[in-house]
Amino acid sequence: MRQSIQRKLPLFVTTLLLAVTIALLTIGYGEVRQASRALSDKRLQLADSVLAALLQTSQQRARITTLAKDSAIVAFLRSGGQRGRAQALAAMRRITNDTVTNASLELRDFSGRLLLRTGRFTLADSVLVSPGTDSARFGPLLRRDTLLYFGVAAASGHAEHDGGIVQQVARLQLNDRTRRTLTGLAGGDVSLLFGDAAGDPWTDFATIVPTPPERVRTSATAMNYDRGETKRGIAKAVLGTPWMVVAELPSRVILAPARGYLLSMAPIAALIVLVGALAAWWGSRRITTPLVGVTHAAEAIASGDLEQRVPAGGDDELGRLARSFNTMAEQVSRSHHQLEAQVAQRTQALEGINAELESFSYSVSHDLRAPLRAIHGFARILLEDHNAQLEPEAQRLLGVIDQNTRRMGQLIDDLLAFSRLGRTEIVTRPVDMKELTQLVADEIQRGEAGRNESLEIRIDPLPPARGDRGLLRQVMSNLLQNAAKFTRDRAKARIEVGSQPDAGQTAYYVRDNGAGFDARYADKLFGVFQRLHSTDQFDGTGVGLAIVKRIVQRHGGRVWADGKVDEGATFYFTLPGEER
Amino acid sequence: MHGGVDILLVEDNANDAELTLRALKQRNLANQVHVCRDGAEAIDFFSGGAGPVPKVVLLDLKLPKVDGLEVLRRLKQDGRTKSIPVVVLTSSREEPDIERAYALGANSYIVKPVDFEAFARAVSDVGLYWVLLNHPPQ
Repeated sequence: MRQSIQRKLPLFVTTLLLAVTIALLTIGYGEVRQASRALSDKRLQLADSVLAALLQTSQQRARITTLAKDSAIVAFLRSGGQRGRAQALAAMRRITNDTVTNASLELRDFSGRLLLRTGRFTLADSVLVSPGTDSARFGPLLRRDTLLYFGVAAASGHAEHDGGIVQQVARLQLNDRTRRTLTGLAGGDVSLLFGDAAGDPWTDFATIVPTPPERVRTSATAMNYDRGETKRGIAKAVLGTPWMVVAELPSRVILAPARGYLLSMAPIAALIVLVGALAAWWGSRRITTPLVGVTHAAEAIASGDLEQRVPAGGDDELGRLARSFNTMAEQVSRSHHQLEAQVAQRTQALEGINAELESFSYSVSHDLRAPLRAIHGFARILLEDHNAQLEPEAQRLLGVIDQNTRRMGQLIDDLLAFSRLGRTEIVTRPVDMKELTQLVADEIQRGEAGRNESLEIRIDPLPPARGDRGLLRQVMSNLLQNAAKFTRDRAKARIEVGSQPDAGQTAYYVRDNGAGFDARYADKLFGVFQRLHSTDQFDGTGVGLAIVKRIVQRHGGRVWADGKVDEGATFYFTLPGEER
Repeated sequence: MHGGVDILLVEDNANDAELTLRALKQRNLANQVHVCRDGAEAIDFFSGGAGPVPKVVLLDLKLPKVDGLEVLRRLKQDGRTKSIPVVVLTSSREEPDIERAYALGANSYIVKPVDFEAFARAVSDVGLYWVLLNHPPQ
């Protein structure tokens, strides 16, 4: 699938929005939760304090303290239970009568011995109070079936044998009304628990409840724990008693605001993400649609359709891009048309020149040769038909005319051949260079049959080439003819044809041991009509090597030569090798 | 109007015509040669219809008035003349000329050598072949 900004941009923006929204929600949720926790903790602490204060200053305490100071009681206890029994009992009844929570009231000496008792209920362990203690003391909670009791005792008198203990066993009033009253006092959802700091039993003021975990009871800060559901509670010791209160709230109540926050914010967040995604998609389309248009147009132009344009949009960057693009396309198109027109014009001009050149060659070929043939023909006729009337000098001069017209004819032929080379089409095929060279060499040997000295032509194995066979044959022929010509005065003429690698191509070479040449003039060798030897020494028009150069160049190859005067010459040419 | 004609030479260049005739004379073929100096003359030569039929036409290409290829085209188009052998004898060795000449039905195409001996040999060989050796339809 193609990479597309149109798809990637909205995806990126949506992901970003989603991440930001989720982060914000999480942070907000955390903050709300923390705040409502702190608030709940404050409430719990407050409820704890209120309850603890209530319990601390309960009526029983005041009553017992008052009773311990009653003169009848004091007298009875001072007498060690011997005197004033009736008065003491009356005083005790005054107190016990107006309270429904009273289980029993007893008078003991400081060693704990029971002296007098009203009511049947008695504690296994009395609340021991030291002599001289000012206020009453509470004892631990005691459970009997579904009822809870506790002792409260006060000292009467200041010395061991000068007083005793007044102790009441009170029943804790457990009913739903109490519980509801307390809960209402603490503000609704708060549950208030009350119990022994050391352990069992515990109550919620309506029923006996399981004891809160120890870690709650021993911790000064709020703790979470599981009691039917997850709760958060704070414990507080009731000063001057072995009791403890715990105020607790269900976590669900504490977290309700946070949950409420989430519930109210989530749809808003979802809406924000949705709107953001849509906006990103729309914005991306708005930006990328013109870009897609420009891209398509650019691709079309790149593939040759120069008339492609894009609709020019608004005044923003995209509109400017579209307009700049159109201007650019316009310029490209215009220059392209100009170039095409120029090329057409030049081609036409070139074709005209070419046609002129062709008709020029034609004229040269036809019109130059005709007079030459006449000169030669009539000179020959003079020599043949009127030989007897001609002096030897006249005959010699006619011979010169004869020779030069022949040479001129050869020159014209060579020149025409050379100019034709530029126009003939090259048809490349794989060419067996070894076989082709052998053919040419045999031809040369036949042509040189008349020479006095021996001519040896050695042909090494040659790699195949790719080229126009006819033209390559002419290259080989010209080079071998050259070599044969310049070795004509050698006693043992020797021509070698071989090849060597040259910069990734194959360089073919023709080496001879002939007259050679001065290396300083090597660059003149391949010019038209350039000759390094006089015609007296070696005949020729000076076109052969120019033809070689032109053919090789038209094949995409190079020609060069090296040599030394009297030591022979080597002619090299490269051809694009046979493709494998 | 013509006597017996073996060879019709269409050649505008007087020198070439003279050299050709000389070469033919050496083989005793020059007696029955008629020379036309341009293409129009050559066409006129055949237009009478009743004239003698040459055994061969030696046709130059570059001719005044009507050029050699046009003459060739007309000869080969005309049912009465199309079987007359036409040998193009020209200085042009241009490939397009050669191709067009053969396409129009030339029987042979010979490039005039500059060298006189070679020229004379070529002309006399052509004359010998077409006049003495070749058998045209009767």
